[in-house]
Amino acid sequence: MTKNTNYIKRLIFSVLAVALMSVPGAALAQSMPDAIKKDMLETGKKVYFKRCVWCHGVEGGGDGPSADRLFTRPRNFIQGTFKIRVTDSGELPMETDLIKTVKNGLQGSAMPAWGEFLSENEIVSVVQFVKSLVQDREWDDEDEEVNVQDFGTNPWGTTGPYHLGVPQADIDAGKEVFLKNKCFECHGGEGRGDGNPTMKDDWGFPIVAADWTQCWNFRGARRDPFNPFNVVRTITTGLNGTPMPNFKDQITVEDRWKIAAFVNSLCPRKNIDPLTNKPIPDFLIQSVYTEGQVSPMIDDPSWQSPDTDSRIVPFSDEIKDNPKRHYIAMAGQITRGKRNFDPKTDDLWVTSRWSAEDNAVYYLVEYHQRFMSQDPEYPDAVAMQWPAKLQDLFGAEKPYFIMGDSKKPVDIWKANFMAQDYNATNAPKPEGYKLKTSVEEFVGLGFDAVSTKESESKVQVVDSIYKQGRVKIMFKRNLKTDGEFDVQIPTEQFIPVSFLQWSGRDKEKDEHMAISTWYYTILKPALPASLYYMPPIMAVVFVCFQGWLIWMTKRTRKMYDEGKIKRDELPK
Amino acid sequence: MNKGLISFLVFVVGLAVFHNAIFPIFTPKEIGWVLNRYVYFLLFVAYVIITNLILRLKPPIAMTALFVWGLGFYFYKFVLYPPIPWTLFITYMVMWSIGTFLFISQDPETFREFRKPIVKTIVGEYKFAQIIVMIAMPILVGFATYNTIYPSYQEPVELRTVHPAPPATTKVHGKTYPLESTNNPFRIDEQDNYKDSFPFLDADKHEYMKYVTEGGTIFFQNCHYCHGDQLNGLGMFSHVFNPTPANFIDPGTIAMLQEAFLFWRVSKGGPGLPNESTPWSSAMPPWEEHLNTEEIWKVILFEYWYTGWHPRTFGTEGAEG
Repeated sequence: MTKNTNYIKRLIFSVLAVALMSVPGAALAQSMPDAIKKDMLETGKKVYFKRCVWCHGVEGGGDGPSADRLFTRPRNFIQGTFKIRVTDSGELPMETDLIKTVKNGLQGSAMPAWGEFLSENEIVSVVQFVKSLVQDREWDDEDEEVNVQDFGTNPWGTTGPYHLGVPQADIDAGKEVFLKNKCFECHGGEGRGDGNPTMKDDWGFPIVAADWTQCWNFRGARRDPFNPFNVVRTITTGLNGTPMPNFKDQITVEDRWKIAAFVNSLCPRKNIDPLTNKPIPDFLIQSVYTEGQVSPMIDDPSWQSPDTDSRIVPFSDEIKDNPKRHYIAMAGQITRGKRNFDPKTDDLWVTSRWSAEDNAVYYLVEYHQRFMSQDPEYPDAVAMQWPAKLQDLFGAEKPYFIMGDSKKPVDIWKANFMAQDYNATNAPKPEGYKLKTSVEEFVGLGFDAVSTKESESKVQVVDSIYKQGRVKIMFKRNLKTDGEFDVQIPTEQFIPVSFLQWSGRDKEKDEHMAISTWYYTILKPALPASLYYMPPIMAVVFVCFQGWLIWMTKRTRKMYDEGKIKRDELPK
Repeated sequence: MNKGLISFLVFVVGLAVFHNAIFPIFTPKEIGWVLNRYVYFLLFVAYVIITNLILRLKPPIAMTALFVWGLGFYFYKFVLYPPIPWTLFITYMVMWSIGTFLFISQDPETFREFRKPIVKTIVGEYKFAQIIVMIAMPILVGFATYNTIYPSYQEPVELRTVHPAPPATTKVHGKTYPLESTNNPFRIDEQDNYKDSFPFLDADKHEYMKYVTEGGTIFFQNCHYCHGDQLNGLGMFSHVFNPTPANFIDPGTIAMLQEAFLFWRVSKGGPGLPNESTPWSSAMPPWEEHLNTEEIWKVILFEYWYTGWHPRTFGTEGAEG
């Protein structure tokens, strides 16, 4: 009986919805939430208890065994609060929303994409079971309504994967909307999520605003991170359970697409690995040869390069010879000693130049850090790690990547820094904060055997700044030094290098840190002069060869014609 | 229209259609006896031969040679799977080119026919072709020289042994385990009996599921960051590390190993690897530092339960999925 009335009710709703949609301007499609398909619950339960229970918990409270070591925590289903929806704020999601979430996962969190792992039937079933875990709301309650929002359409017709070609005027207009609606209060002046350090979700757990410059970590990226629709959806529906409200009344649909254009323009286009949904790391850091002296100023034009891959958007002419920004993937150090399960930094961006005249190499290390430490006991820090005895390594051999081992020491250049006059709750400060830096050099013989070098520090931090959520540290060191445990940097050779990073605000220190694996760096030589004279020479040589060939062929012909030599005879 | 030109168009347009429209059909996820890339290639060859025969195109020998050579190039570059390294590709193509040359020089007639257009181009009877070739070739040579001299750097390729030879014994928490005769103390029953059991819910009913639940709990507190929620080696930190974390779903990992091998690998982690397995960059912790012996065995039990693989044991040929 109830099923029948439900059906009629839904019919009326859909008729109403169609009627509403045909009225110009009205765009809401109102209906009941999709009811639970009870016949699928048994399969769903099986899938849930095999695959999902470990994070989401036995009752779906987001309190499985893994939950306490995850940031962001797994979803608590009990209240029916779902973030990624096409329905209005506070409403239950459509079933297709949940199916898409299961299929695509939630990027930037531990929730993987199940689309290739489970069958369609298993996915739909487990979604039914998840819906049945919602205790505080009823999917067939007549007071529950869902209004599918109007998102308009992509006005520029851009296509994936990179969605390039949005006119600059629209991006600029989007920035105006961004300023007018004060998005920076949470997302920061340049969208790195560095606006508000005190936010909590509905359950009182701390959470942070999205970093727009890392769109591959958007939970709603749906494995299509550069698609502006993701942003339009979030602005239109808000994220239930978080401080992110919807802006559908403040911002028109057209303007939402413009703000999406602005937000997406901040995200560097990188080749995304379809398996991990993260940019593919640049495993070779190329240090560019520089005539004369290298400028030790971060703002110098010679250091300007976009984060975007130059193979996707070529560098403009002024900067085409500048070194590229290399993407270094970072994770928590979860191997030895005190482990770091919730690192605050996901990646570093490294740019390098060297100069023979200077006899020095420079590494500009940048990373996103929403909030800096204000506690001098726990300063923020970033370090470069090198094999201390490069000359003793054979083949691919390297020291242990977590601060070396007893046989193969590492040389660690660590920059400690505190932002000056900084308070995490300050309004965005476009000119940035000066950093008070100090450099320490360590010899590592294991994560628990790190000692400060006795010799005077030869590594310098020549320039540094913390600006709009981004730390920039420029290291400089001479290629050759006289310390026993100093790496001696050769040119034109692959040198292993890796990166360590500590978030002071998270009270990280020693082996409680973020870490990269071993990368390589190479000091590239100047372009050889032969590059400019050899190609024409080879072309001229080839022209001569062609002339000789013509002359020879013609001569042979003539000799045939004059009967001086006989042609090869064909068989009769 | 010139028959040679038609033949050329038949080849080029056919290749474009085959490669873009038909090739995807023949490369599905599940490879079949008919739907595979080699059948596709044979079909394309048959298409070229049959259309030329039916239309009586009789392309000049130089063009036939070009087709034959092109078919070889296409096969080695795009059809053959898995892709071969470029050094091998060059070796194959040299042999293929020699074969093509033998084909055209099989008798003086075909060889002369083959040379005819080339000679005519060189001496200038095909004036237009001569001008194009004589100008284009030196420019190409110049560019090729530039590309060869221009320094480019790729990170060195490093090979490593994925499954190193295990030691005879391993000492964990003060106790020595001989790898050959050590079994999982928690494997108290046949795993397949619990395929459809529920962790947590059935933990009180069956002792086996209690161990699976405990193992899973440890896995999802410690291991999933790298080995992934799906045990496929794609955890949230997996992209950071090189070597990438092991994929337990793959038939080449735990499915072909004994539990004692896993016990050794889990206990000793990256630093316990021999040099040929690059112990310096493995992010695998020596778990004896974080877990006790029982916890290690329970995690191993869980990994087999979750993936459905059976550990390799002595006296049997291998595992079943």
